[in-house]
Amino acid sequence: MNTVLSRANSLFAFSLSVMAALTFGCFITTAFKDRRVPVDIHVSRVMLKNVDDFTGPRERSDLGFITFDLSADIKPVFDWNVKQLFLYLSAEYATKSNALNQVVLWDKIVLRGESTKLNLRDMKSKYFFFDDGNGLRANKNITLTLSWNVVPNAGILPLVMGSGHMSVPFPESYETTKSY
Amino acid sequence: MRLNASTVWGPSKYYVCFLKPEVYPDKLYAFFFFHLIIQRSKMLSIFNSIPTHMDYKGQKLAEQIFQGIILVSAVIGFAYGLIIEQFGWTVYIVLGGFALSCLLTLPPWPMYRQNPLSWQPALPETTGETQQKPQESLKKKKHK
Repeated sequence: MNTVLSRANSLFAFSLSVMAALTFGCFITTAFKDRRVPVDIHVSRVMLKNVDDFTGPRERSDLGFITFDLSADIKPVFDWNVKQLFLYLSAEYATKSNALNQVVLWDKIVLRGESTKLNLRDMKSKYFFFDDGNGLRANKNITLTLSWNVVPNAGILPLVMGSGHMSVPFPESYETTKSY
Repeated sequence: MRLNASTVWGPSKYYVCFLKPEVYPDKLYAFFFFHLIIQRSKMLSIFNSIPTHMDYKGQKLAEQIFQGIILVSAVIGFAYGLIIEQFGWTVYIVLGGFALSCLLTLPPWPMYRQNPLSWQPALPETTGETQQKPQESLKKKKHK
């Protein structure tokens, strides 16, 4: 500690160790928090088509069009360890050929500081709702849920499902619109 | 010795692209400028003659001071960040503590030189001890 450089070295190293300990403390204070929030999903219109699917092995696949309403208040999820949330709406259903299908229809990134009240009406899906085959027609039960991925400042990235879902049956025939 | 342009912008080990100041962002320009000044000054050795030593009790005091300041600023920063729910403020407060302790402990203030080592006086020069005396005075110069 006789020269300026040696003092500066030990000062800097000590500060970095203290900063690492503070970051761990930040992680520990929010590691076991419950990040679920009630979510309200409503489907207003559903339409079904049978189109050429060039990405799949068969000639024609089912393509669904869903128009939905979404409202949720995600303010309780944000705290000092959350940088942003990645929200996504997924549809889950079962068909004769596959026991479980999950398709992401829509997503959004919410940064800390942006408005946290989601109140979306008549939203169209962002991504195509293709089925692996023709299992959407006359399907009794398609469940839509909103989930989110919490991106923290320090620590693990939990994947949380919102506590609200909506199940809709799909129409029996193609090119007909069903309204709810 | 004057530091004019010819002493600062001479040939250097690191070849910097000499663009016009308007082209570079200001901070980058300042960084290159100070980097070259420090290089030049090491070769000019005017800063080598500024004494930066402290005695042993002063070093201990300096270490206690900066550890205390940084720990206190860490506790304050953690509490403040937790209350206002922004981790950025915790980092800012710790950086402020770091800057304050840099200011207090890096330069050799007089409070760190209160207990200088007392050397024995030099022995009178005799024929047998002409070898010892240059060694002693060399020791004295190093630990000044």
